[in-house]
Amino acid sequence: MNDFSELENDLRALRPARPSPVLFERIEEAMAENRKASVSDAKPMASWLRRFTETPYRFGIGLAAAAAAVLLLLARINTDPTRNEDKEIAQVSPPVETGPVRPAFSGRNGVDGSISSNKFISAGATQVVYNSRDEGLQFADSSRQPLRRLRYQTQQTWQWRNPSTGASLRVSYPSEEVVLIPVSGQ
Amino acid sequence: MDNIASHENWKNCFSEIGPGLLLFARQWTRSAADAEDIVQEAFVKFWRRNHKINNRALLYATVRSIALDFIRRDKRRARREATVFAEADPSVEPQFEWEDEAQSALAAAVNCLPHDQREVIVLKIWNELTFSEIADALGISQNTAASRYRYALANLKKSLQPQ
Repeated sequence: MNDFSELENDLRALRPARPSPVLFERIEEAMAENRKASVSDAKPMASWLRRFTETPYRFGIGLAAAAAAVLLLLARINTDPTRNEDKEIAQVSPPVETGPVRPAFSGRNGVDGSISSNKFISAGATQVVYNSRDEGLQFADSSRQPLRRLRYQTQQTWQWRNPSTGASLRVSYPSEEVVLIPVSGQ
Repeated sequence: MDNIASHENWKNCFSEIGPGLLLFARQWTRSAADAEDIVQEAFVKFWRRNHKINNRALLYATVRSIALDFIRRDKRRARREATVFAEADPSVEPQFEWEDEAQSALAAAVNCLPHDQREVIVLKIWNELTFSEIADALGISQNTAASRYRYALANLKKSLQPQ
């Protein structure tokens, strides 16, 4: 390296061209714009939401809450076929029927033109128990009769189908259920 | 540890590193205006992401990445510029501020270095990066960075020797 020390000094003495003053102004403008953008981006985020997203743990809670909200929303689409079919009939029935009477909705398997194109109907629900645990006998506060406590871990699946478009929706989630069965002492 | 986003007087910071950054960017664009565009984009991007000021390898890697994107975006233009630049007198858009003929010859010799050697020498001499930082910025090993530097110096010495 010593062979090149003189050359290195000569190179260091050579000064690179300086940026134009316009570049300083442009960077200043760009930074000011970014600062404004970041402030305006941050404003709509409520403080409670920011707290959720600050740490991965809190983000997880937020995510779980969002997932629960989605599940509730989906469950509201149509969990009870009969009830929703009735609603559908009520919604699509004309006020005065002048032609021959025909059902507005021909059932789960039928596709009727009166069905709104974005309507999903329930197509099935399954509950698979993949683990059960006997947690033994216990006594409830109000009763002397012993109760057997059983814990079931299940996977529940709900399915909806849109008969007019053929689209289907499937939601699957794990659940845990605790059942208390009275035990008769004999 | 200071970080660039909270650096109130970023102009001082840029005054120090700006010329070196610009020289580094000039290797890909040949045009001072395009190099300034690249430096602006890289510096603002680096600042916006709150990177540490002393993470110089990342700053230069950002410049390099944006410069390569720039070339990809406008290949035809880059090719045309490269052709024009190759034929043009390098003193039209000087990359250095030289004071005498010896410095002018040195600047011309630097411009004639192979690209991989020139980027190492630009980072080492005018940006004062360590070989470790150069390796990080260019995505090469430290040994490669050091050997490219030595080859560059040897080539410069050879080209500056009187015929």
